[in-house]
Amino acid sequence: MAIDFFWRLPTHGCHRSIRRSTNDRGDWSPLTPGNVAPGLNSHGEDDGFRYIDHLAEIARAAEISGFQGGLIPSFPMTDDPWVISPLLARATETFRFMIAFQPGFKNPVHAARQIASLQRATQGRLLFNIITGGGGPGQLWWGDSFAHDDRYGRTREYLDIWKGLWANETFSYQGRFYQVENAGLSDLLRAEDYPEIWFSGSSDAALQTASLHADYYLSWMEPFDQLTEKFARVKAHTAALGREQKCAVRVDIVARPTEEEAWQDLRLGFANAADAKNAQASRATSDSVGVQRQAAVHQGAAEKFEDLIVGPNLWSGFNLLRGGPAIGIVGNYEQCASQLDRLIASGADGFILAGTPHLEEAYRIGEEVLPLLGHEIDRTTGHASESSAAVSAAAG
Amino acid sequence: MTVRIYWELDPAAEPRRAEPVLRARWSQHLSDPRGLASKRQAYYAQIARAAAMSAFDGLYIRYRPESDDSQILAATLALHVPDLTLIPEFPASVGSAVYAVKEAVSFQRSTRGRLGWAIAPDRSITERAAEGDYVAEDDLLARLDEFLTVARGVHGQTGFTFKGRFFEVQNGGFAPPLDREAFPPVILQGTSEDTLALSARLGDIHSFEPAAPAAFQHLADQQRRRAAEHGREQAFAVRLDVTSRDTPQEATQAGAKGLAGSHEQVADTLADYVAAGAAHLILSGSPSLEEAYRIGAHVLPRLRARLGGDRAAA
Repeated sequence: MAIDFFWRLPTHGCHRSIRRSTNDRGDWSPLTPGNVAPGLNSHGEDDGFRYIDHLAEIARAAEISGFQGGLIPSFPMTDDPWVISPLLARATETFRFMIAFQPGFKNPVHAARQIASLQRATQGRLLFNIITGGGGPGQLWWGDSFAHDDRYGRTREYLDIWKGLWANETFSYQGRFYQVENAGLSDLLRAEDYPEIWFSGSSDAALQTASLHADYYLSWMEPFDQLTEKFARVKAHTAALGREQKCAVRVDIVARPTEEEAWQDLRLGFANAADAKNAQASRATSDSVGVQRQAAVHQGAAEKFEDLIVGPNLWSGFNLLRGGPAIGIVGNYEQCASQLDRLIASGADGFILAGTPHLEEAYRIGEEVLPLLGHEIDRTTGHASESSAAVSAAAG
Repeated sequence: MTVRIYWELDPAAEPRRAEPVLRARWSQHLSDPRGLASKRQAYYAQIARAAAMSAFDGLYIRYRPESDDSQILAATLALHVPDLTLIPEFPASVGSAVYAVKEAVSFQRSTRGRLGWAIAPDRSITERAAEGDYVAEDDLLARLDEFLTVARGVHGQTGFTFKGRFFEVQNGGFAPPLDREAFPPVILQGTSEDTLALSARLGDIHSFEPAAPAAFQHLADQQRRRAAEHGREQAFAVRLDVTSRDTPQEATQAGAKGLAGSHEQVADTLADYVAAGAAHLILSGSPSLEEAYRIGAHVLPRLRARLGGDRAAA
């Protein structure tokens, strides 16, 4: 079984270095002359580029360095993945667009037609990271007034409709949250592949829905024991239903030629984030979503750097440097590769990786780290590495 | 008055074109480098480039549920025609109004503000049920009203809160840099009294179906007054299917469905529409690619010459 590696498109700006907390690539922080992407030339004039041009470069870098594609996140402060994907369709050849999406934000039948249309525009390069929102004010920002406790029930029905439209010429559905009568996709649209679904969520309700609809169950990085247990539970649950469930991990990586360099970059990033937090505390409070989110990120920055080392080559302070998962992998190339191997041994069948800056790190991880992986697969399958077999076949 | 001229891209038109699977070679001994792979996207891109090269200002993309989605197409094409405005048509039943604006903002950021919104008429009750859309016939305009109110609200304000019958938002609005983009110009269509009243409040451009220039002027003048009652200025569009040939006879022989005539006659009539108050001309022709070149080459230069003359005389 092949392990798939995805990268991430940073849809809310990127940093030139993990040492800095300002999004100095993109216009989420004030643009300065000479900023690489996008906006101003060295004279401070519009250089004709926009952030989409930078995202295109990251997608190309991921494509060139051997990633399947990339996750395109969706938050209140990000650019939107349903727009980014078609914009970049013809700028890339093989890059697969993983759209982060909360079912409910679009009419399900309309969304299904858009999916088919995107598949046609990308030669089938679309897939989804399905997210089920938490409810409350956060959902109402999106205009989602669904107040029911059974949020995963709604997600399930939404995906039932997508699947039903692909499996049937005409399709009717009487759910608790959705009803459709004689729905259908035209032959032209239904001929496209149903997109792969990567599913997030940790509650029992989430696992239940995942077992019905997910190709990959996606988890943030967690300590190995927990992750192994979680993946085993998910796989057993789905196996009981007669389906196979693949699992995937989303994790940031700081890979450097030496372990010292990797830790040093994080130490500086940690110190700068603490400074930024202090500076922010002295400013007036703001109701801006972006500011609130940054504030939330920096809470707890008073902790000691060392306290956040949760295992060999694992640091749990990434959420202090940027929004998202806390635990990431830190080390030299071999160490990072070996951590990914351990994750494969823990049951991971796929990865969404990320590193800052996303453009250069796509190359570094694709070229320096990923080629070192696979020892774990060899050990479990008990035969020689597929890649070395392929190499000798090519040589012969 | 600056006149803007759009070419219509209808994803459902000429459905067999660029789809080898629907028109395979008769014999397997005849080679086809395409195999059965669809070339439809490349064909759409050709229409878009044809419109750009023949000096149209934009592309008006019809909403066709049986074919490729208009909004997806707009984004797929946008970066390949660097100057065209892209106006996808879609109905107010697409989902969350907030989500629709969020998509619009990303589109605007990525294309230097080249998006327009054309709201498509709601479909029949049977077709709506097939989309899980059970809003009652009598409520469709109220839903559109809320859709546009919420869309403009979250776009223009922070802390926007709204609780209507169809949409609800709490503390909505965008933080920098997503708050720097212009709202896409909204094109509405329809001639019922209620629709026109809504358009006067919430539409930027009202589009009228083909009518003679004099009739168009009557409609536009009435609508201008309606908008003025709300302290607003509204622009007007006319949508015309055009058959333009070297001679009037040829145009008639071509089986015209809409405005037909010699290049001179068509340009004259279009100029009459402009004089009657149409600042936006949405033109279509079939087949779309060939006619974009024909009208771009023969009609638009004549039309622009006339309009330029009018401006000079004014």
